[in-house]
Amino acid sequence: MESQSLNALDPWPQTVQWRPVSPKMITVELVERAIWTVILLAITGTLWLIFSSAWVLVAGGALIVGTVGGTYFSIQAIRSYGYAERERDLLVRHGRLIRRLSIVPYGRMQFVDVTAGPLERAFGLATVRLHTAAAASDATIPGLEPDEATRLRDRLAALGEDRGEGL
Amino acid sequence: MNKFHPLSPVLKGFRLLVLAVIAISWRGLEQLQLEGWLATVAGLLVVLLAYSFIAWRFSGYEIVGRELRIHEGVLSRRVRTVPLERLQAIEVIQPFQARVFGLAELKLDVAGAEKSEAPLSFVPLERARELRAQLLMLSGGAQEVLDEHEEELFRVKNNDVVVSQFLTPPVMFTPLAVLYVIGQVVFNQDFGFFAIASMLSALFATLVAPVLRMLNFWHFRLARTADGKLRIRHGQLTARSQTVPVHRVQALTVTWPLLWRMKGWLRISLAVAGQGAGTPEGGGQKAETDRLLPVATLDTARAIVPHVLPSVDLAALPMTPVPRSARWLAPLRVRVLAAGLTERVFAAVDGFATRTLTLVPYERIQSVRITQGPWQRRLGLASVHADVAGGTPVTASHRSLPEAYQWIDELARRSDEARASRG
Repeated sequence: MESQSLNALDPWPQTVQWRPVSPKMITVELVERAIWTVILLAITGTLWLIFSSAWVLVAGGALIVGTVGGTYFSIQAIRSYGYAERERDLLVRHGRLIRRLSIVPYGRMQFVDVTAGPLERAFGLATVRLHTAAAASDATIPGLEPDEATRLRDRLAALGEDRGEGL
Repeated sequence: MNKFHPLSPVLKGFRLLVLAVIAISWRGLEQLQLEGWLATVAGLLVVLLAYSFIAWRFSGYEIVGRELRIHEGVLSRRVRTVPLERLQAIEVIQPFQARVFGLAELKLDVAGAEKSEAPLSFVPLERARELRAQLLMLSGGAQEVLDEHEEELFRVKNNDVVVSQFLTPPVMFTPLAVLYVIGQVVFNQDFGFFAIASMLSALFATLVAPVLRMLNFWHFRLARTADGKLRIRHGQLTARSQTVPVHRVQALTVTWPLLWRMKGWLRISLAVAGQGAGTPEGGGQKAETDRLLPVATLDTARAIVPHVLPSVDLAALPMTPVPRSARWLAPLRVRVLAAGLTERVFAAVDGFATRTLTLVPYERIQSVRITQGPWQRRLGLASVHADVAGGTPVTASHRSLPEAYQWIDELARRSDEARASRG
């Protein structure tokens, strides 16, 4: 066991090739947040026109501060996303504040999902999600280019089949 | 298609009626007067019986190849198909009202299902046993006739069950509640009959849980069938007989409740995939059916556990404690927290008052994870989680970061190898 200080997001340096998710994911996140902020500000504005109470202004201010902070953290979180295909398992890491790293052996996969929400589709992105028999398994990779998503899905499906049933 | 027993609708109706009466409760009695209340109950009874009779006409079951098909429904008829290769465990249950007529129901635990399937109810007890043997044979893919011979492993003393249930917080605090009710009756003149009745009901409700548990764990017997399956039998009013193939056990939890420590007692529960938390009919007290041992000493547990997890000795697990820096995050638990990778299982201890030891065999680990919160990062700590089907993940909290990374890599490798070598 090495006692040197380990980088929490990069264990096993040199042996693992981490792939980042598409930077377009940040744009998707910004657009989504912008839409929500506009809707919530519109509601606050309407309330202010009806009640003209100072509390509504406070709520509006809190909303803007929350949005700025939330946006900063979610951009950090997207940048921290990474995945790596090893010989027998898939690694997925994400999170800046709370860091998470999952390892799912290919043999344990039950099925693979590829989904794309309306915004993701508009920017040509997709999310790949691995399911195992355990509900707690957490292996979701958002922000993949369609080609990469299809390649990953097919590869995972093929590897899972090779290795038989999961349970 | 095989029909259920003709008494099934009556017995099922009885169960629903009890729930309905509980739902109406004291307040209802107060508002409706006795005649109105009786009329309501009788009306409900007629409606329920009529409904369950129609349901019975169209329901039944059949075995086709390696599938069990269950026909049900009144307005929209359904055929549920249970793939038998995914069958995890079968339980033969005799609820009190069915026991009177010598009937039983079969509860099936299926992997991947959110909760237990609705039971097959009711069939004669003999038929239930045959059906269980037949379904288990088909699920294992075996062709040979199952040997029903079994060897008894352990019998829990009813006395211990009673004492262990008295040593629980609800029972220990009951005397205080009784004093409160007496005090109200003596000093509070406005206290009406219905208020007292409601309080007595509440008091009764707190005592119901331990009493139901006592009845549920009454005559607890553990046996091993000739082909290596566990057979767990228990229950006074409702007699249960559960057959669990050992290789379907996903994880095992040993719990030492605070009040049991003076007796040196523990309990062990099993996580079996598909044995969900939900009750099929909704409402009512759920009986705990996941116990391997409801109350036992460490010596007994050491003798029994190897039948489920071969060559695991509870008293000699190579566990390592957490670094001292974990005291900032878990001041009380820092001396308790420990975990280790043993030859066959991943084990973790946690809990200050109620101590738990969770064991998961490597071939049952579905995925492994590390999480590291902001405080853990400052202290160079991280938590290791091993996910299992049909149970909560096994968590080793606050390990040192290099160790945590070494462990998840090792756990993923062992999980994969154990699964591959099993074929």
